Amino acid sequence: MSRPADGRQQAGPDAPSGAPVSIGMGEVGVGRDGDTLRTFLGSCVGLALFDRRRKIAGLAHIVLPDSRGQGTPPGKYADTAVRHTIDALAALAGGGTLHLVAKLAGGAKMFPFQTGPTVGDQNVQAVERLLGAAGIVVVGRCCGGEHGRHMTLEVATGIVWIDTVGSADRITI
Amino acid sequence: MTTSSSRGAEEVFRRAAARASESLSKWLGRPTTIVIEDVAAFPLDEAATVLGTGTETLCVCAMQVGSHVPGILALAVSDEAGLAMADLLLGRPPGASAAWGEIERSATAETTNIIGCAYLNAVAEGRDDAEPLVPSPPWFVRDYPEAVMESLIVTQMTDDPSVFLTRTTFCIEGTAIRCSLVFVPQSVAAGRPGSGVAP
Repeated sequence: MSRPADGRQQAGPDAPSGAPVSIGMGEVGVGRDGDTLRTFLGSCVGLALFDRRRKIAGLAHIVLPDSRGQGTPPGKYADTAVRHTIDALAALAGGGTLHLVAKLAGGAKMFPFQTGPTVGDQNVQAVERLLGAAGIVVVGRCCGGEHGRHMTLEVATGIVWIDTVGSADRITI
Repeated sequence: MTTSSSRGAEEVFRRAAARASESLSKWLGRPTTIVIEDVAAFPLDEAATVLGTGTETLCVCAMQVGSHVPGILALAVSDEAGLAMADLLLGRPPGASAAWGEIERSATAETTNIIGCAYLNAVAEGRDDAEPLVPSPPWFVRDYPEAVMESLIVTQMTDDPSVFLTRTTFCIEGTAIRCSLVFVPQSVAAGRPGSGVAP
């Protein structure tokens, strides 16, 4: 059963195991074996953190690279979301060492209204920097480009599927 | 978002719709009206889903408008309604536009351009400053609704945390098409066309 990590989770407490749980903008969700988490991404970044041994995983939908001290909701900003997702997974594990690895998706530039580094670029860079500082290896990524993404995380395996509009092929990372 | 700013936005949208109706009628050579049915302001955390959720695609044509109220103006429409609109804009029989090709996108972009310029003119009414009101070229995107809306609103700085959404009807020679006009206000610093908006 997926569990809310920040009180904003969309799934109800009686959501059936295995039914995809939608993670909205700025939200974080965590789940156990049998759960599937999903989110839609444009310039935001989806951060999947999973522990294959414990079969637990979290998905954060990160909107901006830096909270600048605001930090609410914690899933919205890279600096707070990484920490919050790790803490939520630690709570779900109930103690002991976590063996987390990460997968990233998103960070697209869908509109050409920005020059220089885009919010998407900055989001990806910030998350990668924070994961590096936390000692978490990024084992898969599908970032950049000009299209939105539908990111689906299977908690039991850590497999992430990426769907895009106009492409019949599903990417697995 | 205050009630007065929401009312102000509604007034600007209605003036813009009247101007755009005139311009589109001239461009198309046929009577065309754009009717703003209502205007609502949504906080950012709700705005990502107001135009739909899930894997059904949404077509959005967006342009950045620089003025004393800068932001992004976008015409949002479903595939079905958008292609029906393209038929009307291009003077084709209903159902002729089966997919989003270059000409269908171009017709939608030109319509957005006309609406965007009408919006800027409506904003400029009553102002006596000489600040140039410069729109960017319109940009067409067909993608997941949440991904599109997220990408529009993430460019907004955090000092005005609302998105305006209008329910709008296009009526060309008696045929009505439902769509939405979205306005995402930006801070002045972020609102200049071509400027970086990174937080």
